[in-house]
Amino acid sequence: MPLAQTATTVPVTVDQALCIADKGCTVCVDVCPLDVLRIAETDAGKTAYMKYDECWYCMPCEADCPTGAVTVNLPYLLK
Amino acid sequence: MNGVFEGFDDIADLAEGLDDPEPGARIMAVIELTDSADPAALPHLARAIRDPDAGVRLLAAQGLTDFDGPETAEALVGALLDDDQKVRLAAATSLTELKDPEAGTPLIPLLTAPAEFVQVACLNGLKELRRTDALGPAIEALESGSPAVRCAAVGVIGWLQDEAALPALIRAAADTDPAVRRAAVAAFGFSGSDYAEKALIAALRDDDWQVRESAAETLAKSGSPGCAGPLMGALEDDFWQVRLKAVRSLGKLGMRGAAMRIGPMMNMPIPNLRKECAAVLGELAVAESVVFLADHENDSDPDVRKNVRWALERIARGAA
Amino acid sequence: MDEILDGITQIDCDILVIGGGTAGPMAALKAKRKNPSANVVLLDKANVKRSGAISMGMDGLNNSVIPGHATPEQYTKEITIANDGICDQAAVYRYAQECYGIIQELDEFGIRFQKDQNGEYDVKKVHHIGTYVLPMPNGDTVKKALYRQLRKARINITNRYMATRLLTGDGRVAGAICVNTRTAEFLVVRAKAVIMCLGAAGRLGLPTSGYLYGTYENASNSGEGYTMAYHAGAGLANLECYQINPLIKDYNGPACAYVAGPMGGYTANAAGERFIECDYWSGQMMQEFFDELQSGKGPVFLKLNHLAGETISEIERVLHIVERPTRGHFHAGRGTDYRKQMIEMHISEIGFCSGHSASGVYVDENARTTVPGLYAAGDMANVPHNYMLGAFTHGAFAGEDAVDYIADVDFAGFDQGMVEAERTRVLAPTKRDDGIPPNQIEYKTRRLVNDYLQPPKVTAKMELAQSRFAEVRADMESAMYVRDAHELMRALEASTILDCADMAAAASLYRTESRWGLYHNRVEYEKDDENWFCHTIMTKGADGLPSSRKQAVQPYVVEIGEDEKDAYSRQRVGAGVAAE
Repeated sequence: MPLAQTATTVPVTVDQALCIADKGCTVCVDVCPLDVLRIAETDAGKTAYMKYDECWYCMPCEADCPTGAVTVNLPYLLK
Repeated sequence: MNGVFEGFDDIADLAEGLDDPEPGARIMAVIELTDSADPAALPHLARAIRDPDAGVRLLAAQGLTDFDGPETAEALVGALLDDDQKVRLAAATSLTELKDPEAGTPLIPLLTAPAEFVQVACLNGLKELRRTDALGPAIEALESGSPAVRCAAVGVIGWLQDEAALPALIRAAADTDPAVRRAAVAAFGFSGSDYAEKALIAALRDDDWQVRESAAETLAKSGSPGCAGPLMGALEDDFWQVRLKAVRSLGKLGMRGAAMRIGPMMNMPIPNLRKECAAVLGELAVAESVVFLADHENDSDPDVRKNVRWALERIARGAA
Repeated sequence: MDEILDGITQIDCDILVIGGGTAGPMAALKAKRKNPSANVVLLDKANVKRSGAISMGMDGLNNSVIPGHATPEQYTKEITIANDGICDQAAVYRYAQECYGIIQELDEFGIRFQKDQNGEYDVKKVHHIGTYVLPMPNGDTVKKALYRQLRKARINITNRYMATRLLTGDGRVAGAICVNTRTAEFLVVRAKAVIMCLGAAGRLGLPTSGYLYGTYENASNSGEGYTMAYHAGAGLANLECYQINPLIKDYNGPACAYVAGPMGGYTANAAGERFIECDYWSGQMMQEFFDELQSGKGPVFLKLNHLAGETISEIERVLHIVERPTRGHFHAGRGTDYRKQMIEMHISEIGFCSGHSASGVYVDENARTTVPGLYAAGDMANVPHNYMLGAFTHGAFAGEDAVDYIADVDFAGFDQGMVEAERTRVLAPTKRDDGIPPNQIEYKTRRLVNDYLQPPKVTAKMELAQSRFAEVRADMESAMYVRDAHELMRALEASTILDCADMAAAASLYRTESRWGLYHNRVEYEKDDENWFCHTIMTKGADGLPSSRKQAVQPYVVEIGEDEKDAYSRQRVGAGVAAE
């Protein structure tokens, strides 16, 4: 039973211009109760992103981000 | 066991991170210093709150809520004039979290500072510290041209619960700004004096409905039988919110003479008000008021019905 | 991160506290303060800084018993009545006596309660019977204040480890087996006492949105406390008394009647009129809510638009910074304004949570479970209507009692085979090349919970649920497949959720009467005091399946007068209506 690649839109967005993950910050990843955020390494440097669509839209990531880079939107299914 | 537990690292080691050229690394250092909750971290955070990067300063200002005492207060007041608004607000918020009365020492001289924001923040910080030597400067701050400063000053005065401050509170209750008047009126709650009661009764005729509401509510804390008349007057207020608080206070004070004035209010259209009237009629338990309640056993609002039923039972039992 | 690693470590401690949300930090602090030389470990599946139901704070205390405003006797009476009399009062009464001390302590921690202009607690009267509401308009910093205390007390904190099973031996608790949620490495903790504070089973039913994590409870509270207690042989009480709460429809956050109520807001039907007869937050109230939703007068709304603009601004300020602050984003997205429209409400999916109802691991007034050395506190323990302050207070009881308990015992021995068996169970989904991902196992379980277990409860439907759950279980055990450590955590949660679903079905089938309004509305049966005025206690039977028995309600500490019982029953909705 191979797995499908079904697309899903994620509620948490990170403004790469503001994110300072490549300067060593991991605040949002650390505080998420569901542990759904990770740091991605791209050509443009490191940035936080939502890896797993398992969000309680609870907001510690947004509230604790030191640069205001994180925005918690409502998951599409319930907004 | 490495890696299993959160560390209790050496503070000096953690503080080295503050010298990292990358702001992200300095942010993480600030977080670790904050999380240590170790008083030894305080001087390092006091340095970080002056960091060139606003993000670092913000976290340091927030992190200082985890510390107390005069050094913390001093570091925070330094940030009240930061270029970045977020840092200023965070420092002001952290000042309100101080618990150690000693932390008030650097704040008191700033009550006469030129910047309104600094004055407000220091007054708000002092409020919960309840320092008696803040009373004089707080009364002086009532002369400020800024309503925000005067409002915060009332906060300090009210928490000190000192009868000597009543004349100042009475002046504040006649302030040009309604928020200041509202705060001052609520601050009379500690005093059972005639002085306070007179001011509260006067405030029942204030132009601002929230001031009147506050006066009606506060009279239940300090009122004597003498306030029954004015409170009954407030039953005619244009705002149902004021009428509701007046009803509640008459009930709390056990003003049985008010029952026959409250009774007719059972016909008012606002269900919240009918609900409160029914509850208070039950508390006062005046037999003659049954006529007003009887019609409402089948009120369209269930909360009113419940209170009516409860009130009728109490009156039938002759409770009072 | 997330790569599956092979590793196992063992550590020892005196007291292991599992769950760093609300009750857990307080248990750890109280234990450490009472015995500063004790090695106390606080373990959390997430990060203690922001874990649990109060991750973003709390907007008020619903059940504060503050001298001058309420008495322990009155409070105990109300909770007993709200639970249809099925209540061991000792734990409730002790809470009511001691919670004021906890409020003062929390205040010293820097947790902020509403005070008036003289600095006194500003307790609000919501209805005529009791005065229990203490607002927390600046309650967004609760977790930060707790964390600071934990660090000052030098509690050993372990984040991102998920406890999966308890270890037992010599007839008592011996520790716990835990898995790292980012590496799948194992941690075996030997402990003389274990305090479980793992929160509600909040991912049992599926929210109407269909989004797995759009739950009423913090979605990381998936019910491990219930299953670990169950597999360790502890008794669980009244699991058929589900939690169902009113909420903002789709957003699924609390409607916060406790914020809006004292300011004049209320729950109304489509005509804008109040309809709830019941005085107490109870299953009866939820039945009335459900009936209104189903009736021609529905749906149900939060009504604030009759309030002054100034009052609404104040309500918004609180609701948009504390507890569920994305509520502001939600309303903005929908274009709803409290000033203009009423806000549509609904009822939540089912769950286990004593915070609002009464189901949970059975504990006494010292937070002891039926397994020696094992404690439970907070939403997962069966003290009814406990809310946040109850979690703090019973967490304190557990921490203090555990210190006494460990004074006389050494580590219990346990069979290493338990560890090996658990490793095999946990890692099985990592050993396959393909299969069913955990989200599908979970979705199917929870969809079946909605189809067959959600009240009104019907025998034949619940029996169907049991056979369908068995099919899902067979699939889970033979074919669940994960690709990384994060998915492994979800797989373990899926297994927990399925265990809880089985327990919910078995408990509901056992009690052959209706009780607690909507929570256990078994349409084929009336309320039956003669046979069912008792607790039900579930344990794991010798056959490995749930086994239930009756347990008498302890004699009341505070007597309930006949007229008081009557006053309540007169407010009840008639059986005919309830069965619609």
